[in-house]
Amino acid sequence: MRIECKVPLEVERLVAICCPQLLDEGERGVEVRHFAAVLEVVEELCPWVTPVRLGICTIPARGPSRLLGGEAAVVGRLVTGVRQLGHEVQVGVAPGLFGALQAARAGLVVPDAELSGFLAALPLEVLGRDELTGTLARLGVRTLGQLARLDPGRLHERFGPDALLCHRVATGHSGELAGLRDPAVLRRLRQVVGRSEAMPAQPDFYGGADAGQQRAAQAAIRLQAKLGSDKVLVARQRGARDPSARGVLVPWGSEPVAEEHLGAPWPGGLPAPSPSSVLARPIPAVLCDAEGVEVIVTARGLLSRRPARCSIGGDPFVEVGAWAGPWPLTERWWSTGQRRARLQVVTTDQVALLLGWATGRWFLDALYD
Amino acid sequence: MFASVPPRASTRPAIPAALAGRVRPLVAASSRLIPVAPALEALFPDRALRRGTTTVVRGPAGRGVRTLSLSMLSAASAAGHWCGVVGLADPGISAMAELGLDLRRVVFIPDAGGDWATAAAELFDGVDLVLVRPSGVVSHTVARHLMSKARERKSVLVVACSTPRPWPLGPELELSLCASRWRGVGGGHGHLVSREVEVEVTGRRGADRGERLSLQLPAGLGAHRVQGAS
Repeated sequence: MRIECKVPLEVERLVAICCPQLLDEGERGVEVRHFAAVLEVVEELCPWVTPVRLGICTIPARGPSRLLGGEAAVVGRLVTGVRQLGHEVQVGVAPGLFGALQAARAGLVVPDAELSGFLAALPLEVLGRDELTGTLARLGVRTLGQLARLDPGRLHERFGPDALLCHRVATGHSGELAGLRDPAVLRRLRQVVGRSEAMPAQPDFYGGADAGQQRAAQAAIRLQAKLGSDKVLVARQRGARDPSARGVLVPWGSEPVAEEHLGAPWPGGLPAPSPSSVLARPIPAVLCDAEGVEVIVTARGLLSRRPARCSIGGDPFVEVGAWAGPWPLTERWWSTGQRRARLQVVTTDQVALLLGWATGRWFLDALYD
Repeated sequence: MFASVPPRASTRPAIPAALAGRVRPLVAASSRLIPVAPALEALFPDRALRRGTTTVVRGPAGRGVRTLSLSMLSAASAAGHWCGVVGLADPGISAMAELGLDLRRVVFIPDAGGDWATAAAELFDGVDLVLVRPSGVVSHTVARHLMSKARERKSVLVVACSTPRPWPLGPELELSLCASRWRGVGGGHGHLVSREVEVEVTGRRGADRGERLSLQLPAGLGAHRVQGAS
């Protein structure tokens, strides 16, 4: 018997990627490292990857399926990519986290309209609620479908708020259930993977000095003596998606570092021209629509409203003439804890700004002066 | 507003394309000139930077002063001239590389505090080209000192100023950014591609040209005289 249930819009279709061999961490943290590699493969397809727990992550289904021409193609791409790393993988698509996880376990793409039917057949055990499952089993309730038909008010009264959440999940009205996500996974990824960006030494240039260089070096060293060695600097470049991470100034005479992957195309990176001024300390900014309502970046990486005005560092609002983005800036965000996006804004005065979205706020990150 | 005409015919005979690349270094070696990127040549009476002179780039904040002044270092650094950049806070390294600067030959002093003028003056001992972004009001004395230092050392001084704080002395050449318009972004689509700017060229050398040229920043295409401007 089918339970009639309309999936509300806020339950987003998700692709769940589950690597059964990586669900439990062994002694040496190998699984964490392998899982990080899996995340990077998934991230190539969609930057909005969310680790759910060790061995499991999700991405929104909509963007990638448009990109590849269907959800089946997304599943195919992910399965191929992760298997190439040498891991078993299960991939599924359905509305909400719970549905997507069950779909992955079954290796299915579940259309919105069939979610309730798909869930109805599942045994109560999938909820991971032993006590509730045991009690309900004695009452003859053994599947999510049977649970969905129970009266939510009575369920709440008898078993408490968690049972009500289970009911919402069983009916497809929610995809979230306590215990599905492991909040420690990000911390663990950061601990084990971290960021080591040690770069090999640069082979040449500073080796053979010509007359021009000797003259420049003498002046630079004199100035360092006068102003402090950290005031006289040279630029070093490296590849990175984030424009502010692509170049650094280092004191004159410090160990040269390799210009890593120069000129390599950076997937997801902002196209040239790069901003001519990259602020070392981003300035808080406010972006509003025409009615003065704040514009934010949604979980799907879209703007909530059309930007019309912005204010930088508490200055008076200026009119926004055009904008582009947001572009996700989520390169290995799970290892830094910063989920970010970038937005190019051109004011009606033709001043171009690069705003960054981080920690739920806008910042002025860079200027195209 | 940005209607442009094709570049005026050069009075010099055309250099065959195959030779052009080999001729340019010869120009650089001629002791008085330091090359600029081809797209910027039309801005300069000598189609290059003349040693011993000062060029001031000015315009309203955020309207391209930084990009234009840094662009003036690209061909010079690539041709082997060392450059110094003083007082330019938070420079975008990628942007400079995209403009064609050879960053291995650029020394930065982004924050010399109140000493920026002293630092710039000393830098002339080591480099052929100094770009300064003055902080605060510049006195006549400081301006005169730096300009004479450039003359003495046969170097080039480039000053980047925003409109409210002008350089107090008349330089050999002044490039004023008077209009700009970005291309490539719309209502939530595209990305910044380049901006079209109008530059008014005035100065003592090359004689009060008072010309208005339009060009693309970052400079890709050559400059064009603005129709209707004298």
